[in-house]
Amino acid sequence: MRQGHDTGLTRRAALGALGTVGVAVSLGGVVTLGGAAPAAAQALGQNEPLEAALKRVFGGRPMKDGSGMIKLDIPLIAENGAVVPVGVEVNAPMTPQSYVKHIYIVADKNRIPIVTRVALTPASGQAYMGANIRLGETTDVRAIVEQSDGTLLALTREVKVTVGGCGG
Amino acid sequence: MSDIGKVRLRVPASIKAGDVIRVRCLVIHPMERIERDKAGKIIDKKYQYIDTVTVTYLGKTIATFDTTQSVSENPFFAFAVKATDPGKLTVSFHDTHGQKYEGSVDIAFS
Amino acid sequence: MRRRPMRWLAVLVLSAGCATAADRPSLPRWTSRAVPEARGDVRVEPDGRRVAVRYPGWTTRDFARFRTYAYDDTRPEPPVQRATMPAGVTGDPERGRALFLDRVKGPCTGCHLVPGDDVWPAGSVGPDLSTLADRKLADAYLYQQLWDPRVTFPKTVMPPWGAQGVFTPEEIVHLVAYLQTLRGPVVAEKDPDRNPFTRRKPVGFGDNLDPTNNPAVLRAESAETTWGRRGPTGKSCADCHAGGTEKSMRGVATRYPKYVEAYRRVMSIEDFLTVHGPETTGAPLLIESAANVDLAMLIKMASDGMPVVIDTTSAPARAALARGEATFHRRVGERNHACVDCHTPDRGAGKFLGGRLLGDATAGLTRHLPTWRTSLNDAWDMRKRFQWCMTPLGANMLAADSIEYAELELYLTQFDNGKPLNVPGIRH
Repeated sequence: MRQGHDTGLTRRAALGALGTVGVAVSLGGVVTLGGAAPAAAQALGQNEPLEAALKRVFGGRPMKDGSGMIKLDIPLIAENGAVVPVGVEVNAPMTPQSYVKHIYIVADKNRIPIVTRVALTPASGQAYMGANIRLGETTDVRAIVEQSDGTLLALTREVKVTVGGCGG
Repeated sequence: MSDIGKVRLRVPASIKAGDVIRVRCLVIHPMERIERDKAGKIIDKKYQYIDTVTVTYLGKTIATFDTTQSVSENPFFAFAVKATDPGKLTVSFHDTHGQKYEGSVDIAFS
Repeated sequence: MRRRPMRWLAVLVLSAGCATAADRPSLPRWTSRAVPEARGDVRVEPDGRRVAVRYPGWTTRDFARFRTYAYDDTRPEPPVQRATMPAGVTGDPERGRALFLDRVKGPCTGCHLVPGDDVWPAGSVGPDLSTLADRKLADAYLYQQLWDPRVTFPKTVMPPWGAQGVFTPEEIVHLVAYLQTLRGPVVAEKDPDRNPFTRRKPVGFGDNLDPTNNPAVLRAESAETTWGRRGPTGKSCADCHAGGTEKSMRGVATRYPKYVEAYRRVMSIEDFLTVHGPETTGAPLLIESAANVDLAMLIKMASDGMPVVIDTTSAPARAALARGEATFHRRVGERNHACVDCHTPDRGAGKFLGGRLLGDATAGLTRHLPTWRTSLNDAWDMRKRFQWCMTPLGANMLAADSIEYAELELYLTQFDNGKPLNVPGIRH
């Protein structure tokens, strides 16, 4: 079965489970914050090569093969690199004793390889994240998982990005 | 887009106490990309993009996304929550221009 | 700094492609109610240069030399040209390959697969040329195919590249030299997705009606403000159409485009808003303005899930439908293409044009429009999509609210009859 197709099914199934009626919808408001953005967040997204990014963020710590535990949902072919939906699910406990602390998304060939870092807590109930990400070109995308004991797990998948046919 | 900062949140229609639910949210935001001048040099300016997304449930932060310019324009974010008690779930988005956008939903049990 | 004279005083605005009353007495002359960049105007600069007025970021090249979809454009298709290879030019396969891969030129790889890991994303509209040279075709034959393939294949979808001046005779000699190097055996693909004949199909962008997935839903909701806003006459849409769009507009969009007797033309919802808005509230709703697109989405969403039921039984509607069908088959532009080439199943539909799967008009591709373009972060209606198609075709676009486009949309929409509306869509 094709992975790319899996992605579609999984998302649709998830939405189906949410149901189409009685969906809670809320409006957002704009509030101005006094200060600037947190320094840690500014440091996360740097224009740097992959190796530098991995070294800066993970300090050369060993990473285990996450293929048994991590499920990385991402289309194998992205029609449009500007919007690529990614979903990560980790089959691991979420208890105060042992939980998934961080899920990182890394796009190897992006100018800013670190896409996002999600900090989770046991209150999440499940180690799961989803987001729309940008891919500048065909690239490996990694899901890197950091557990509360510091263990790092990684799973990589290549995403092919097509550019326009004759444009549209 | 003038709709910048509009937020939509989506939770399951029916939630039971103790369910681990998945929440999706979308925010209208340009998530400005790095621009380059004609010589290919990066234009130095304070790009406007969301760098933090905070999920609060029952007054406690349960998940935080630190985000970069590699996240799409008008992004969605999804996460899980263990619905232990009825109460408010809020997602706030902070951007590099000091703006804060927010959406919230009441978690109620059926 | 020297002050420049106000530009608009110095330029002449030419109107491209309005239906005229001259040869078609049944059609009114239509004055476009489009935003300036959607009128299909061509500006003549003081130095005589002609600049097409289009949307920001679109090419401003004037394609006036080439046939358009305008009903008053009576120029015939370019005549079929025989050509012989120029003497004294030695073909250079390397230059030929560069030309073959040049996306600004043909682009040949949009339709044809050739060997090489750098060939990405090749299309499958035309034959795989990976072993073309094994067929031992004469250079002169290949030269003619590139110059104008209609000599051999009158109904081909391949443009007459030489006859239309896209490639020079010398460039075609290089291309032929390159094609004559393409010999088997075919090496096994390192990456099966490189080959468009075996490439996996894209999976799309998820649930289009989920407001946490499709930003266009939020855009449409913001049109509630337009709906309730009083215009210069003191009236709003809501004043006459009670019960909100959900109730008052339910089912309305399923009947559009339709022939509207009052204006003696076919109109989509978007077209109708351009005249109905000013006549009632007094506020303009120019086609291709965000206000028009967003309101059209909101109105169409009130019919989501309801089957399309356009009625083409009246005599004027039947005549319009016939003209729309003729437009679908009409060859236009520098590339001498017709809609039918890319969007019917026995030709390009379902195949890859470069990295994009071509839609099938006969399966219905209108009922999700306006649709969210994830690549552009904007909602596009059918007309802007038509106008965008004109650019690779090398044809000047018509006004977004032209009768020609309305009748083409009518023709395309009848393929959706009986199928549920699903607005706003979400695409690449």
